[in-house]
Amino acid sequence: MADAPKKPVKLPRTAKGKKPIYFDSVTDKLLSMVLTLMGELSVTRDRLDTVERLIEKHALFKQDDIETYELTDAVNQIRTERRAAYIARVLKSVQDELESLQQQGESTNTEVKP
Amino acid sequence: MLQQAMHDLFPKPNHDEAARQEFVNDFRVHLAAKVFPGNFGAYFGRVLPAFAKTNGREPKDRHEVRKVMTQDPYYQMWSLMQRSSQEMIWDSVIDTVERTLPDLQAKAKTAKGKGTLTLDPAVEIPRYHTGADIHLQPGAYHTDSVPDDIAQGAVYERGTFLYAMGGMGPENDGLGRILHKFFRKEWPNRKIGKVVDMGTTIGLGIVYWAQKEPDGEFHAIDVAAPVLRYGHVRAKALGAAVHFSQQNAEKTNFADNSVDLVISHILLHETSRNAIQNIFNECHRILKPGGLMLHLDLPQAGAQSPLEGFLWEWEVYNNNEHFYGQLRELDVSEVAAKAGFDKAKFKIHQVDSTWADGQTPYSDSNFTFPVYAAEK
Repeated sequence: MADAPKKPVKLPRTAKGKKPIYFDSVTDKLLSMVLTLMGELSVTRDRLDTVERLIEKHALFKQDDIETYELTDAVNQIRTERRAAYIARVLKSVQDELESLQQQGESTNTEVKP
Repeated sequence: MLQQAMHDLFPKPNHDEAARQEFVNDFRVHLAAKVFPGNFGAYFGRVLPAFAKTNGREPKDRHEVRKVMTQDPYYQMWSLMQRSSQEMIWDSVIDTVERTLPDLQAKAKTAKGKGTLTLDPAVEIPRYHTGADIHLQPGAYHTDSVPDDIAQGAVYERGTFLYAMGGMGPENDGLGRILHKFFRKEWPNRKIGKVVDMGTTIGLGIVYWAQKEPDGEFHAIDVAAPVLRYGHVRAKALGAAVHFSQQNAEKTNFADNSVDLVISHILLHETSRNAIQNIFNECHRILKPGGLMLHLDLPQAGAQSPLEGFLWEWEVYNNNEHFYGQLRELDVSEVAAKAGFDKAKFKIHQVDSTWADGQTPYSDSNFTFPVYAAEK
């Protein structure tokens, strides 16, 4: 009979003690999210670097092949679309505000009162 | 970043954990080298002139600087990033310790080596540890999450290495090296004898002493069991003979007049005002006549300018180092005298913070560690 899976270890994650506010509660959180994202992008870049080096070591292709890779029109189109979606995703909070401003604008222009 | 020496019991990060930890390190290096210095520009460029214009004078002390600098957007942004980086250190390390803990615990059980471990569940964790988690390590030194837990010790070992940006060296023992070097410079021929390291945490300092002084008998005490358990197996892995025991430095079970040397490495700034007095009283009680006490700690306010003083206290207000504030003002010679040490035999040495090849902890070469020294 297989052993029952062990419960994963859970260590405390939040330090006890009063947390200072630097700008305001929301801005502070937002900035710490940005810093975390900065870290995660660095982690991903390091992982990609490891992958590239292993590929080169095992002679699948060379890192230089990446630098000299020539974009075809079809791939360029795929990437352009993907990039646009990515930008929209990261800037969604700005877009949301813009949308709601437009909605308000529309509602003041209408003659139909609620 | 500098690679840390990893012994058998070390919580070894996997690829992405290591990348995350190295990012935090490099981020903190950037903050220290490229962002922190801007605080001087903000202060002298706009904060000080605005204060002088309003008050007709410069700020008279660090408290006045605090009132105005904490409103400056540059300081606020640096401060937020510094605080976030500190939280990121622990989070990045806890990932590794959570993942590897079952394996580390199993290895700890069968680890062979020198030294002993004596735990005493009756030891109360003092309020100065339970009130807030010092330097933001979640769970601090004393929290047990699993039976016979070593997690907080493992988190501490990697976390403090990242905190110092490798400034304590591959073995993370720079403070032990600094104090030992000072000891042997001042007392080259002194017999080492029986040594007690107070507030040892995972024994980073005392393991170095034990490696350098094979004739000594080394005892290391702390109130927190998880760090002692880890310290014990770490010392075994490094081949050092150290006897770890769970005791409060304010009231130990060492006999009167039984110890040749009492040392501590940045202990005092993490204890209360009353505790410091009790610790000095205890040092006096357990030392043999002619025995020596050496406490190395962080700089006092002393001759620091109002701005420097304010910046040094960032840790007090932003990194849960609440007790460092009072030590910066404390007349330690009075504490020693009250404990029974002869005033003529008490001295505050300012000790060079360089421990090897121009290497200092905390990426700041412009300071010395006070060492509070007294012979009984």
